[in-house]
Amino acid sequence: MVNTPPLIYLNNAATSWPKPPEVRTAVTEFLDIPAFGSGRTTGTQGEDYVTKARGALSSLLAADLPEHVVFTQNATDSLNHLIQGFLAGEKERCHVLTTALDHNSVLRPLHEYERQHRIGLGVIPFENCSVRPEAVEAAIRPDTRLMVMTHGSNVLGSVQDIQGIGNILHDHGIYFIVDGAQTAGHIPINLRDLPVDAFVFTGHKALFGIPGTGGFYIRDPEAIAPVRFGGTGTDSFSLLHPRGMPERFEAGTPNYPGLAALAAGVNYIIGVGIDTIAAKAERQTAFILHELKKNPDVIIYNEHPRLPIVAFNIPGLESDDVGFILARAYGIIARTGLHCAPLVHKEIDGGKGCVRLSLSWFTTDKECRIVAEAVREIAQNADPAVSPS
Amino acid sequence: MRILRSVRHKVCADGSFMKEFLLDAPVTTGFFSYLRHFGSVEALPGLGEGFYKFEKPEWFSIKGFAGDTTVEVRFRKEVMDLTVDFVYLLFASYREETPDLSVLKLRERAISERVRKHLHGT
Repeated sequence: MVNTPPLIYLNNAATSWPKPPEVRTAVTEFLDIPAFGSGRTTGTQGEDYVTKARGALSSLLAADLPEHVVFTQNATDSLNHLIQGFLAGEKERCHVLTTALDHNSVLRPLHEYERQHRIGLGVIPFENCSVRPEAVEAAIRPDTRLMVMTHGSNVLGSVQDIQGIGNILHDHGIYFIVDGAQTAGHIPINLRDLPVDAFVFTGHKALFGIPGTGGFYIRDPEAIAPVRFGGTGTDSFSLLHPRGMPERFEAGTPNYPGLAALAAGVNYIIGVGIDTIAAKAERQTAFILHELKKNPDVIIYNEHPRLPIVAFNIPGLESDDVGFILARAYGIIARTGLHCAPLVHKEIDGGKGCVRLSLSWFTTDKECRIVAEAVREIAQNADPAVSPS
Repeated sequence: MRILRSVRHKVCADGSFMKEFLLDAPVTTGFFSYLRHFGSVEALPGLGEGFYKFEKPEWFSIKGFAGDTTVEVRFRKEVMDLTVDFVYLLFASYREETPDLSVLKLRERAISERVRKHLHGT
């Protein structure tokens, strides 16, 4: 455009931006001195970023044992690791449950195993943006051994009743893996109390890390077989991979700069306070929704999200076109399309996709006002009769 | 008007292939009016200098803002090899005065047959 408007970044549910200044400083500090990793150098002058990040995560998520925080490349990597590791311990084909709210990071691994006849798969539908615990109970079969589901929908912003669902699953002896990619860093999470067996997080979204970091917290490591083996810097004379934590699930040189960034990001959140972050996000999301609802033509898919996510369509325009207009005419970066959650979209918009605005702690009230006004202008100019969404 | 180069590309969720093209001059409202000879054009003239989207079903779509020097072209991937040259031709053939469409129409007809055969076998 001739006059490029200032950038307003509302794609934080994909990757957050900007990061706190402390994150940039941590990465720079890592690059300024030689890498220090326990068991991997004689140097002592560097920070032990890995231990620091484990401590920060366990503190934020109220996880009792920092060494049960395992680092991976991202949430998808964690989910693959956990699902594969769980199934490695199953002698016979078993039944696995997931939900229609889930991301392809859950759906695709499970569908692959279903295609290989290693599991039977049940996909539980959602109602009013949520999966009902009763629906989970009804889907349980005698051979159900595992459930993998999202904590917060990346499209609808709804947070699931993990407490209720987990209690039911544990009553039936079913292992419960929760994908917290969208919730960790946005809302208070207390793994001490939540009935989950493994909780997955990613570094580059609300935790303010950089891409290439993620992980999981695991309550009982023995329930998941390790599926990666290699150097750990410990017990190196043994030709078998160590089974202690966290080495059981970590092999190879860690992503030091990524973990330095993650530790800084998480400590920033702890410093601000997760309740403060959640309250601001709730207020700003409610404001945008309130403004969007003034235009009856805008279709909103969840009017009461618990995460800072606003999903909508404007009749007469494809979601990609709205995204294009927002970016080019207003400098607003959103995300459009299916958001890697095809079953959600099949249900809410017939699979056409929608526009998603996702906020972060760094989103300003002014930016919220600008985006609300931009959507209003686009909706007023669209012709709903052209191609109703 | 000429396409200088592709500055960005991605495979879209619907399987189409998107390319963002940089042009040697800003695209005009007149250009999108001219495209009506080859497909349908949706216009939202009240947004910025005007948002336009040209659709040529089974071939490609072109969208952009008047006054901008880039446009986004979304190709139907299966026939992209057959249709991409026509995109270049559309831009290169455009003139502000009444354009001569005869050559373009002949070319369009020839490509149409190949596209139809490729997609539908007829």
